Amino acid sequence: MKEIYIIIINLLVLNCVSAQGKFLTKDGYVSFFSHSVVEDIKADNNQVLSIVDSDTGEIAIQLLMRSFMFKKALMQEHFNENYVESYKYPKATFSGKIMKFNELDELKGETEIVGTLNVHGRDKEISTKVNVEINEDEIILKGDFYVEVADFDIKIPAIVENNIAKTIKVNFELRHKPYK
Amino acid sequence: MTGKKFKIILSLLVLVIIGLVVSFLYYNKPHANIEKSKSDYSLTANQLIKEYKEQGIEAEKKYSERIIQVQGQIHKISTLKGNSVITLQSSDSESSVICHMLPEENANVLKLKNGQEIMVKGKCTGFLLDVIMVRCILVE
Repeated sequence: MKEIYIIIINLLVLNCVSAQGKFLTKDGYVSFFSHSVVEDIKADNNQVLSIVDSDTGEIAIQLLMRSFMFKKALMQEHFNENYVESYKYPKATFSGKIMKFNELDELKGETEIVGTLNVHGRDKEISTKVNVEINEDEIILKGDFYVEVADFDIKIPAIVENNIAKTIKVNFELRHKPYK
Repeated sequence: MTGKKFKIILSLLVLVIIGLVVSFLYYNKPHANIEKSKSDYSLTANQLIKEYKEQGIEAEKKYSERIIQVQGQIHKISTLKGNSVITLQSSDSESSVICHMLPEENANVLKLKNGQEIMVKGKCTGFLLDVIMVRCILVE
């Protein structure tokens, strides 16, 4: 947790020194999807904060677990109260690096994004493919990856075990604008 | 089948049906109606931001997941996927309150201007660099 704050503060402070280089979004999109025989569950979060340093390709992402919107109110309640314990762990974070970022300049391309994902207070190293689109005033990152529920010490009660997948698909789309 | 047996079976069946209906309704219960719900707190954008910044976890417990009313000055109006997003500024902080409006408020938001004082009611989901509110409506 602490490292993330330090990174974010650093990114913000550094920004004052070099006016260019930092790109930010406060309304990025992250969703997750669970498929099981019993039901499909999807939740969307449109309030994702993400900062990219275009000089180094470093990236810091934060989102609020409570910003995930489910179709069913009861699922959202159970998700926050029982599974991810949002009162204890209100945020999920990711800090890492977009590999070969400078070689992608002004291009559309695919590369790797590597870093640490923190959900439910547990860290997990993640490495996934990402689609990068760099324009003069926008850096767009799109992709998806899979996570194991068990990796984050999230306990699913036996009664709904068949309703929730062991592996969850995560989608993201982050449209960063230059940070003024 | 005797009359007594029949009555027992019938009443069991009725109980099972009631149980199924109740659990179905509970399972499918709708999201809280923001307009009809009573707000837990009513305060200014400045106050809300100050509490989140200074008290962190205390403010988190107090406001997150609650329906609250926030008064503030409009800094920016934008749209995201067809819905309006209103940013309320703070006079003494870099942070703001970002209000993601419900789609039914789109027409009303068009009438608003930057700098205007408004009151927004919605569900607070927490604080990143700014306080985030979702499913918001405008309050007269």
